[in-house]
Amino acid sequence: MKPKVAFFDFTSCEGCQLTVVDSLQTHLDLLDVVEIVQFREAMSERGEDYAIAFVEGSITREADEARLKQIREQAALVVALGACAHLGGVNAIKNLAPLDDVRQYVYGDKHKWYETYAARPISAVVKVDAFIPGCPIDREEFIRVVKAVLLGKKPPIPDYPVCVECKLKENNCMFHKGGFCLGPVTRAGCGAICPTYSDGCEGCRGAIPNPNQDAMKDVLKEHGLTVDEVMARMTMFNAFDASQLGK
Amino acid sequence: MSLKIINKSDLMPFVANMMGEYEVIGPVANDIGFKFATLTDASQVRLNYNTTVIPPRKTLLPTQETLFSFQKDMLAPTFDMKWRVLLGVHTCDLHAMCMLDEAFARGQPDTHYMKRRATTTIVSMECLDTCDENSFCKSMNTLTATSGFDLHLIQLGDFYAVDVGTTAGEALLANHAKSHEATRAEIALLDKTMSQKWSKFPVRLHLDGKDLPALMGVSYKSPLWEEVGKRCFGCGSCNIVCPTCYCFDVRDEVSMDGKSGERYRIWDSCQLDEFARIGSGENFRKTHAHRLRHRFMRKGKYIAEAFPGHQGCVGCGRCARACLVDITPVGVWNSLRQDHA
Repeated sequence: MKPKVAFFDFTSCEGCQLTVVDSLQTHLDLLDVVEIVQFREAMSERGEDYAIAFVEGSITREADEARLKQIREQAALVVALGACAHLGGVNAIKNLAPLDDVRQYVYGDKHKWYETYAARPISAVVKVDAFIPGCPIDREEFIRVVKAVLLGKKPPIPDYPVCVECKLKENNCMFHKGGFCLGPVTRAGCGAICPTYSDGCEGCRGAIPNPNQDAMKDVLKEHGLTVDEVMARMTMFNAFDASQLGK
Repeated sequence: MSLKIINKSDLMPFVANMMGEYEVIGPVANDIGFKFATLTDASQVRLNYNTTVIPPRKTLLPTQETLFSFQKDMLAPTFDMKWRVLLGVHTCDLHAMCMLDEAFARGQPDTHYMKRRATTTIVSMECLDTCDENSFCKSMNTLTATSGFDLHLIQLGDFYAVDVGTTAGEALLANHAKSHEATRAEIALLDKTMSQKWSKFPVRLHLDGKDLPALMGVSYKSPLWEEVGKRCFGCGSCNIVCPTCYCFDVRDEVSMDGKSGERYRIWDSCQLDEFARIGSGENFRKTHAHRLRHRFMRKGKYIAEAFPGHQGCVGCGRCARACLVDITPVGVWNSLRQDHA
């Protein structure tokens, strides 16, 4: 019997689910090994009997928690899909300012109508069994993780930084080209796609274990960024992590 | 073996002729530098390149290489038996590849490496000037080479002197190039050029490379490792760009139905968290300081002792260029030398 799989989303752009749909174009055989019972972005059926839940999006309202906990209760495995679910992502930038200011900025005089709280990764609310990093996720990595989960293996998410993949691609270093990059402290697995196209890494896949953040700040400053610019860059996707560190 | 001459105008036809019969890999320009790549047109080759991000060892040990494919009860090795010419190798990288030849042939020979090596002809190139402020080939005695190549080119104004190192090189030259026996005047110019080049390469290391094993032997407990460890990202760039690193990781890629797959190897780095982590979760080298020390021990001592006549560092300077926090062999070794002055 094929394991039943469902996709869910919270606060996000749904780009990671779109990448899943996209990955089916080249890996249609995925449907031979799993049965998708719920996937709002791709189908109208809505089954509630699932074993593996892929969850996109960060949790930004108290009301979201009940739904996420219900998913957790049903699913044997919960997989965070993409930067918002994995890290809090760009939604967590709002955590850096007072919440009332943020609500007023976005909703003006109607701000009291909209419930919100500090954005957080789904792991801050429920236990998460695996994560697929990135903004958006890498479709090949999504397939690799699904295969590993089906084989009962640990998903092969790299613990090493983007620099490894960037050097293997023989890219010249962004810093040597006058740019800025978070590659030395950011988790690889993306194939260094941004530096390969001469755009510095923005850290969407989160930090590696034991990142040397102090050295990263020093290097960015040495190459001409101000302290504010350094912090803006380092909190683009990782503001939740940074606000936790600040506590 | 012997010394031949190719006129400069005959070099491109030589490259083009080789391309008819071999995959020719040589230095080509990329956005701000150079890299070794398969030539699709002879005019792409840049023999005046200074250095590349990753060394030409990738021709013999590809960054990622399938070893075998498997199904239930079936295993089929994968070999790439293409005939290749590796063109424009600098002598630092040539010395490194001679070390790799020894490392992969020793004990149980590495079949994949050995087969690639056997189908690769190396045409190396004499450096007549220093590449930049990071190289220190002079101290590592890799500024020139007398063996290890099939052919070796030395540019002398309007012509190239060609040192023929092997019969394979001799055949390559005879079959694909227009060349002649060096005249007395050409040999004299070669001697003059070779003796004049030495002064163009500054001495950067405050000891001879041959003394590194002794220096590293007394430096295991140096406080320097903790000091540089604080700056280190553990990003592994130094390993990936190193011509003498040869560690690789082995991974499987399994088909969707789980019934077949491929085993491949991919370059690894001793600076990464997971390199010395074992199944139980223990890590033999927990900190950046421990990993850096290990790397410098490999480069300065362990390899030289394991493979007599070879060195773990050839002074190419790639790791110094790649390091964003200025951890360099010249800096580290000079500092250790200073401590034992």
